[in-house]
Amino acid sequence: MSYAYLFKYIIIGDTGVGKSCLLLQFTDKRFQPVHDLTIGVEFGARMITIDSKQIKLQIWDTAGQEAFRSITRSYYRGAAGALLVYDITRRETFNHLTTWLEDARQHSNSNMVIMLIGNKSDLDSRREVRREEGEAFAREHGLVFMETSAKTAANVEEAFINTAKEIYEKIQEGVFDINNEANGIKIGPQHSPTSPGGLAGTGGQGSAQGGGCC
Amino acid sequence: MEYFKSSLKSVLGTTPADTQQTGADTVERLVDRLQSSSLLDDRRDACRALKAFSRTYRVEVGAQGMDALRQVLEMDRTDCEIIGLALDTLCNITNPEMFDEEVDKHSSKNKIGEQFTEIFIKHSDSVGLVLAFLEDFDFRVRWPALKLLTHLLANRSKDIQEIILVSPMGVSKLMDLLSDSREVIRNDVLLLLIQLTKGNANIQKIVAFENAFDRIFDVIEQEGNADGGIVVEDCLLLMLNLLRGNVSNQNFFKEGSYIQKLTPMFQIPNEIEDNNFDGWSPQKVSNVHCMVQVVRALVAPSAPAQAVAACQRTMRACGLLQALCDILMASGVPADVLTETINTVAEVIRGNASNQEFLAGVMAPSTPPRPAIVVLLMSMVNEKQPFVLRCSVLYCFQCFLYKNEVGQTQLVQTLLPQGNEAPSLTTGQLLCGGLFSIDSLSNWFSAVALSHALIENISQKEQLLRVLLATNIGKPPVTLMQQCVMLLQQGNKTQCKLGLLILLCRWTSYCPLAVKSFLAIDSSVAYLTALLSSQENNDDLQETLLQSMCALLIGICVHFNDDSVPTYTKEKVCNLIENRIGWEKFQDAIGGIARHEIYSRTLKHPQPSAKNPSELLLDHEFCRLLKSLEGVIIKSVIDANNENRNQLSVMNLPDNTLISQYKDLIREQDIQIQRLNQANNFLTKEKQEFEVQIQELRSAVSHLRDQNLVLRAAQANIGDGKEKNASSNDLDLEKELQTYKTMVADLENRLAEYMHIMQQHNKDKEIKESHLELISQLKLKIDELEKLKKDQEALLELLTDQDSKITLYKERLIELGDKIESDESSGELDTDDQPESSN
Repeated sequence: MSYAYLFKYIIIGDTGVGKSCLLLQFTDKRFQPVHDLTIGVEFGARMITIDSKQIKLQIWDTAGQEAFRSITRSYYRGAAGALLVYDITRRETFNHLTTWLEDARQHSNSNMVIMLIGNKSDLDSRREVRREEGEAFAREHGLVFMETSAKTAANVEEAFINTAKEIYEKIQEGVFDINNEANGIKIGPQHSPTSPGGLAGTGGQGSAQGGGCC
Repeated sequence: MEYFKSSLKSVLGTTPADTQQTGADTVERLVDRLQSSSLLDDRRDACRALKAFSRTYRVEVGAQGMDALRQVLEMDRTDCEIIGLALDTLCNITNPEMFDEEVDKHSSKNKIGEQFTEIFIKHSDSVGLVLAFLEDFDFRVRWPALKLLTHLLANRSKDIQEIILVSPMGVSKLMDLLSDSREVIRNDVLLLLIQLTKGNANIQKIVAFENAFDRIFDVIEQEGNADGGIVVEDCLLLMLNLLRGNVSNQNFFKEGSYIQKLTPMFQIPNEIEDNNFDGWSPQKVSNVHCMVQVVRALVAPSAPAQAVAACQRTMRACGLLQALCDILMASGVPADVLTETINTVAEVIRGNASNQEFLAGVMAPSTPPRPAIVVLLMSMVNEKQPFVLRCSVLYCFQCFLYKNEVGQTQLVQTLLPQGNEAPSLTTGQLLCGGLFSIDSLSNWFSAVALSHALIENISQKEQLLRVLLATNIGKPPVTLMQQCVMLLQQGNKTQCKLGLLILLCRWTSYCPLAVKSFLAIDSSVAYLTALLSSQENNDDLQETLLQSMCALLIGICVHFNDDSVPTYTKEKVCNLIENRIGWEKFQDAIGGIARHEIYSRTLKHPQPSAKNPSELLLDHEFCRLLKSLEGVIIKSVIDANNENRNQLSVMNLPDNTLISQYKDLIREQDIQIQRLNQANNFLTKEKQEFEVQIQELRSAVSHLRDQNLVLRAAQANIGDGKEKNASSNDLDLEKELQTYKTMVADLENRLAEYMHIMQQHNKDKEIKESHLELISQLKLKIDELEKLKKDQEALLELLTDQDSKITLYKERLIELGDKIESDESSGELDTDDQPESSN
């Protein structure tokens, strides 16, 4: 149960692009063809290993509907990573990416790692957005890109893990202030905050909860 | 300024008769000054004075000054002092409480604070302004802003929740204040958050997302855990708000390993007897109450089973269950804390085999050591214990037996005759003792507890039939069921009877053997029918329940009757119902319970909900049994009844035909089943085949895809430069080259083919053309021929003409007789030559 780091993620994107299914596939390794509309935000978690370190991912799956937009905005600030998802079979979900990205950039901390996900890659016959377009958009906006299928699980692991790798690298480079929990990163209970180096800490607000049994 | 000062004096002076008039006037002037004065100092003074008036002349200040104050918040936001004053003033006028010094006391019921709140939030950005002031670190601004928000929230909680929810970073700004080093702000924001999170799942989730649990545990730790003051309680109340009924947050709590952080809070140091024992302070009692509520929120029976099971596992693993059991067995724990702890243990073990086993293994520190469960049951059947405590023990025992076949078996086992008479007290003995005690509450508790050992467990129902009780010395032992029926008939306490009926209904349901035993007991059915047919006391709740349960028991005796007791076969019991009770009365009675509020209340939650002993009449699991059986029993009884009638009225219809009809029907259905089975088999086979095919196709597709990729890569490499080719991708390239070669050869072949075709085509064309030419030449020749023919004809005509002329001339010559022969010969020559040359 113990972990070296804890990362907070959010999943954003238009309604019906498969955000909840991506999360379910990642946390439970199953696919649910009929999924209820997400109301507000739902939570999921899983442990992964990067660089032989245990990393806990806490993922908040947001509602894509416009009506919940003001609620979901509250989650940008505290997240270290975001999966921005569109549906390759629905062009309009791709067209809305700019709005989503603006929203995310405006409300999140500047270091948040954003991964662009073109979901439903199993439905290639109904494809409306070419892979190259997704790649181009990602390149233009400095995002990591991947096409996934929550149904077949293709690239789902990779999407979450690669995002974590990116964050992990940023920590190693000292880009993230890991003592500020508002960045969406927490150090594991048994790991002293001084070990990753380069942290002129601002006084441990959150890191001071040692002890306890985990 | 002079005037203002004098009026202020008069207000603060001692002339109560004039104050009201003067007060309103002064407020008007102050508001005017606040709005129109260009100097900040003046405005600040006016604001300060308004604040001073805002308690006594709250209505006036609110009614006249609201806009001016709002204006200050907008315009003067750089000046902390005036902002603080304005916020304080707004705080006073929106205060949900009444001030003692308030002049306008008559309107206390009008909720002045709420009305002003309504006015204040009419401007859409008012709350946003106040939220923005929270970011100001200055105490003079932050604190009143916080207080104002608290008042607004208290007055119009739903509205404010929605506004804060949609204002950017609204919740986050509040959460930041939890880390404020000034305790008063931290504590006030805790109170605010408790109000804010009430009944709003979205806010609860955002608050949790903003690391609320970490913050809360930090504060709890700083404040001294369970021994801490009211701030700890506030923290726990907030935690409870975040968790109760919010599955997402519960999941987050579990995944964030926060359950583990609860354990140390429950590890209450063992009270050392000689150390001055001050017992539990009221605050500590409150704190522990909140703590167990937090635990119960995570394992509530109403929550999704999967989530509950995961939390229960963690609670055992991290020692929380152990800590709770320690409190159970500790001395000096106040009764209400003990009660709630028992309820909590109940829900932590409910339906979880390992946790149930854990509780079974807990030993009480008594001499001799006894299992904790035995000690608990001793309290349940002890009438000196508080009622709520006894209820909680029943709940705990029910949860212990819930889906616990091992526990059920063990309990029944303790009642069965065993070789060695165990001297130790057992659960079964305790329950039997309770069943036959003179305390009707103990009877009810024991009967219900025993009934839970039989839930969904037919073998224990049958085992329990074997239980014998030794009554008086010298008399033969009686079975437990006989004893129950006897108690049912003898007693005059309804609560005891209800308990026994609950037990008997559970016992006989789904168990024909138990039905048989029950029917075989003398006067058992007679008693039930007698009770049901009595008309008295129809309005009395207990009487209704009693009749209802009797009806259910008779119904069970019909539905699960295997006709093995000749005097009470299915048919005979039905006849009895019809003749002695009447169908309508029976149906009415069986549905009687469901009409009562106590039924729906009991059905809602497995925990006994009674507030006092006399209310304890129904059991949750019994209500569920009734709910599931009511329909089938009525149907079964009606069917049996109809069958009887049919048999009476249609006696002449020979049974044989009916039977043969049924046989035919069965045969038909058999055939149908076979057909469907075959179809099913066929379809499954087909499905398997298809699946295999799909897999093959998939692998083929992936294979092709791989090849495609390889080829693409190779292509790209070729593009990059020929030098690289040789080194790495030789094999691929060769392959590729070969394919290209074959392709080229193929194409060449095709080209040759096409050329050939073309040539043929050209030849054809030439032939055709020459043909056409010939035809046209032919035509020309034909024309010529025709022309010549015509010429010939013309010449022939001419010839004949000349011939005739010649003959004419010849004749003339003959007539004349001059040199005929020479002329004749030359003329003959001419005619011979002419046709030959024309051909």
